[in-house]
Amino acid sequence: MSFITIENVTKTYQPNGVASRATVLRGVSAEIEEGEFVALMGPSGSGKTTLLTIIGAMSQPTEGRVVIDEVDVYDLSEERRADFRREYLGFVFQQHHLLPYLTALENVMLPLVITKLNAKEKRTKAQLALERMGLGDKFDRLPNQLSGGEQGRVAIARALVNEPPLLLADEPTGNLDSKTGDEIIGVLRALNEQGQTILMVTHNPEAAAATHRVLEIQDGILLSESAEPGCHAGQSLMEEVCAD
Amino acid sequence: MAFIIIGLAVGVGTVVALRSLTATMEQEIGAQLDQYGANIVIVPKASSQELSYGGVTLSAATFDLRQLTDEDISRIKSIKYANRLSLIAPKLLGAVDIDGQKFLLSGAQLDQEVRMKQWWQVVGRVPDKADELLLGYEAAQKLGVIEAVKSADHDSMLHSDHTSVRQPELKLLRTELTLGGEEFRVVGVIRETGAQDDRMIFAGLPTAQRVLHKPGELSLIEVSALCQGCPIDDIVAQLSAALPEAKVSALQQAVRARLQTVERLSRFSTALSVVMLLIGFVMVFITMMNSVVERTREVGVLRALGFRKSHIVRIFMIEAALISLLGGLLGWAVGALSGVLSAPYFTETGAGAKPSLALALAALAAAVIVGVASSLYPAIKAAKLDPTEALRYY
Repeated sequence: MSFITIENVTKTYQPNGVASRATVLRGVSAEIEEGEFVALMGPSGSGKTTLLTIIGAMSQPTEGRVVIDEVDVYDLSEERRADFRREYLGFVFQQHHLLPYLTALENVMLPLVITKLNAKEKRTKAQLALERMGLGDKFDRLPNQLSGGEQGRVAIARALVNEPPLLLADEPTGNLDSKTGDEIIGVLRALNEQGQTILMVTHNPEAAAATHRVLEIQDGILLSESAEPGCHAGQSLMEEVCAD
Repeated sequence: MAFIIIGLAVGVGTVVALRSLTATMEQEIGAQLDQYGANIVIVPKASSQELSYGGVTLSAATFDLRQLTDEDISRIKSIKYANRLSLIAPKLLGAVDIDGQKFLLSGAQLDQEVRMKQWWQVVGRVPDKADELLLGYEAAQKLGVIEAVKSADHDSMLHSDHTSVRQPELKLLRTELTLGGEEFRVVGVIRETGAQDDRMIFAGLPTAQRVLHKPGELSLIEVSALCQGCPIDDIVAQLSAALPEAKVSALQQAVRARLQTVERLSRFSTALSVVMLLIGFVMVFITMMNSVVERTREVGVLRALGFRKSHIVRIFMIEAALISLLGGLLGWAVGALSGVLSAPYFTETGAGAKPSLALALAALAAAVIVGVASSLYPAIKAAKLDPTEALRYY
């Protein structure tokens, strides 16, 4: 069995005040192996972020299942699922979602708050994670005292501080300039080279080009898989990219 | 957050100020009761006596059906509310002849008597031996124990109050007295009180019982029940039941009326306190609900990072408790201060209540309880947020 198995995942929801249910995902199945760096691409509204949150144990699928490291994620109770997120998953959000009133170090220590480590161990772990991101000299900066790239790296440090087997990134370059975006992609790539499994939602082809594999999704359906990111997939989105 | 702190501080402050003010006023009433002496007087029924004390008439020869005796003391101590009685002062009164003049001799436990009659200023000391006497001011003058004060001096003394330092020095000219054939020594004189005590002679109870040839007998028993808000009527009823042949009457109607006023004020301040705490509750509730909305995304981040629902509840509750504690502390400080500052406008003595530890703890507890209780629902609401929705919240 693969490290991550997504089986026939369907997600529908009923928006407030609307009679009919909207279908976001229709029978999506995929597999991801340990050590892979996978991009999930698709136009906005295609369901890619929804798929990411379902893989991220945050949103129950209407049908189908997600198995990570032989754990059927949605068989767990809600509180156990929170524990699972803490142990298995690291999230990097598009807006980074750093808490503005905490320093870089404190933001990185946040996932450790509810672990059994003592205060000193928490601090040391967070410092190591920040140093790994090249922010060894910015422990005490508040998020607004950091550049966009630095904020992104703090967010990655926070996602990795628990040493999770899977890193999930939701458009990590989304609102960064291209140079900073490249910086973040470089960091993710380096992590992957050290063995980190990464699933990244993006609509940036350059970011996708850095990955091993692209899963393309449109209208809630997984269209294709290209083993090599690049211009031979022959599908709509990639063609547009290759035309440039 | 600042809103919660200020809100709770105002609420707690008002409550603390009110409580400490009413406490001061109750203390003042208590002190007044102390000054007035005993609350309850027990005398034998149907006595026909010619000498009087405190509105009670006595005669040298009594023919009561039943006299009060030392045994009645233990009966008083056996009533249900015995623990509310702060003082039991048995007395024997009787007429005595000294140097051909008639005086009223009061036999009492003099150390208690001095405690009960706080306005007494004893020159010399209080008798503690069987052959020692304490004299009232006029009696002492008549017996030539002290020099008679000239009228000018007398006037100036009347006009000066108790605290005046300009009281004339009293010198004992004579200390030996013969009473019923026995030799006695005068060891103290009470400064002029303007009351009947001035004309009296005081001795220990056993001494008086011996001199008056009434062993074991008592003329009256004064009982102090000086707890504020004491069930005086109940105590009187219990005493009457315990001593069916005695007349039990409560004194100081005026003071009790005042006590009632304070009790009413106290009840009003309790009601107001409840209202203030309710307002505090609603304020914290609204603020915490807003805070949950404002921090929706933060909750989403924490949930994504693996915080359980119970962690989220705990975070909000701990935060509410800390903020409430701060509000309570601030409120207590403001309340205690304004209680002290406003005391002169509400009490006669003008002395503010001493900051009491119990009130401080109660204030902090009230603030924290209100803060935590009103934050419970918002905290649960925060924990129940859908993490993916929460992350998308702007």
